[in-house]
Amino acid sequence: MRLRKGLNDRLLSWKMSGGFKQTVADILERSSRNSMVVIGMTLIIVIVALALLAPVLPIADPTPSELFLEDRTLPPSSDHWFGTDELGRDVFSRVIWGARVSLTVATLAVVFSLMIGVVLGLTAGYFGGVVDYIIAGTIDLFWTFPAFLLALAFAAALGPSLANVILAISISYWAGFARLMRGQALSVRERQYVEASRALGAKNIRIMFAHVLPNCLSPLIVWASVGVADAITIESSLSFLGVGTQPPTPSWGYMLFRGIPFLEEAPWIATFPGLVLLITILGFNLLGDGLRDVLDPRMKGMRR
Amino acid sequence: MADLVSYVIRKILLAIPVILLATLIVFLMLYLTPGDPIVAIMPPHATQADLQELRAKYGFDQPFIVQYGKFLMRLLHGDMGQSVARSTLNVDVSTLLMQRLPKTLELMAIGLTISYSVGIPLGVFSALRQNSWKDRSVMVFTLIAYAMPSFWLGILLMLLFSVYLGWLQAEGTVGGFSSIILPALTLGLGNAALTTRMMRSSMLEVTRQDYITQLRSRGLPEREVILKHALKNAILPVITVIGLDIGWFVAGAVVVETVFSWSGVGMLITTSISNHDFPAVQGCILVLAIFVVLGNLIADIMYAFVDPRVRLG
Repeated sequence: MRLRKGLNDRLLSWKMSGGFKQTVADILERSSRNSMVVIGMTLIIVIVALALLAPVLPIADPTPSELFLEDRTLPPSSDHWFGTDELGRDVFSRVIWGARVSLTVATLAVVFSLMIGVVLGLTAGYFGGVVDYIIAGTIDLFWTFPAFLLALAFAAALGPSLANVILAISISYWAGFARLMRGQALSVRERQYVEASRALGAKNIRIMFAHVLPNCLSPLIVWASVGVADAITIESSLSFLGVGTQPPTPSWGYMLFRGIPFLEEAPWIATFPGLVLLITILGFNLLGDGLRDVLDPRMKGMRR
Repeated sequence: MADLVSYVIRKILLAIPVILLATLIVFLMLYLTPGDPIVAIMPPHATQADLQELRAKYGFDQPFIVQYGKFLMRLLHGDMGQSVARSTLNVDVSTLLMQRLPKTLELMAIGLTISYSVGIPLGVFSALRQNSWKDRSVMVFTLIAYAMPSFWLGILLMLLFSVYLGWLQAEGTVGGFSSIILPALTLGLGNAALTTRMMRSSMLEVTRQDYITQLRSRGLPEREVILKHALKNAILPVITVIGLDIGWFVAGAVVVETVFSWSGVGMLITTSISNHDFPAVQGCILVLAIFVVLGNLIADIMYAFVDPRVRLG
């Protein structure tokens, strides 16, 4: 009873300090003073907004059924902001539609990796013992194996398609999340509030997801943000090598690849998609770095 | 010293499962590939019995684990199969790899040299001027260089030096130094950014320590304090991760070699994928994965050598 009273007291004081709303407001307030978060978030919002609005924006069709070859390799102008490509398609429109592909693939890949990583890492760290031994060994194996090579191997074997790219990135990327989650779970499971809820008869699964997981959220959010940047890099590299997104679907990596033979004649084909790619990756990296400083100052400089 | 030896042996033993995983993944690649290879090579009017006979001949009718075991045995004898691409039909994959490997190693060596000779001085420079505008510009540079996709950087460098200035060759491996400099620079720059950041934070940490203050208070010239005493300690964590950089370089090499048509292992992967030459893809991925594992091993060992506390863990 005393324990429960103690818990209630803490809950009460947390609620009096404003509770969940206040905590969120606090984080938002600190984030808005962090220039990395602000710049990163601005870049991301612009790209995401353009990608979401692509169907309603007054831009050319990125994959026209009829090609106007007399329009090919036109330099940037007021009609075609980023010029036209070797088939006469509007590069600006293809870059924006390409953002939809890149962002979708990257987000889904990170969500899947996150789910695999959280479940396995949490289970390993929380239960310990033999379970931990087996799962931690697997995590280490995949962690040591270079993500890009793994993704390349799977994408090459499964054949190029959007779903396979997402699968390939998830398979190669989950170990990072699992490692992080396991470490957090290991340290959190010894805390008093976990012991308290166990004493109150809570089931393992409830303790894991209701008590341990929420206390590991900050580093997961940071990693997820950086993970989107990594996933975008992997997706565009795979597409560049011809095993990722397939034409005619617009994809930044493949557009860059197609632009190389036209570097002299029409450098805009290969430069503009790369610029937007860089801005997007930079945005997510900045957001991740900034959030790390805001959410957990102890993690400063941990990422290599 | 005994603890170091046992640590090294433990690390080597731990590297074996990772290499096994690499062979398993490479073997699975064939399993995951859609389509039955036997049906593909036989004429359409072949009977079921014919197909069955051929399956038995190539061992495709055996259980997975037996097939994998045979695959491992062949690998142990250095046999990675034969290429099935039209231009290199029936050439041993190991021969192809031996031809290409020196090119990739050359590229990686020069890339590493560039990244360290840019990253270390820049990191020291930045740390000694902490929070000045110079430090901040270096940090902005590292952020951009780190986020820069290597293929786009390669394209930009090509555009600048080959198309506009006409100084350097854009493609191929014939031109000696002038043709390696652009791919190596492309490969090295991202890692240079990482090295700069690490060097900076390591230098900041060291210069705050008591022995540096003590040296300064004894009136040693600042130049000597930094170059002779601080740098020696600050550089250690940076160069011990040289092995981990190999992982970065292996992934980068595949892309960079493709951009510049540099005929190394990375380029071989790309051409083999488009030629559906799976034995060659398998061989390349396996070799590159072993490289990364060895790199990690070197990093672990160097770290333990430098920092004795690690050996006990």
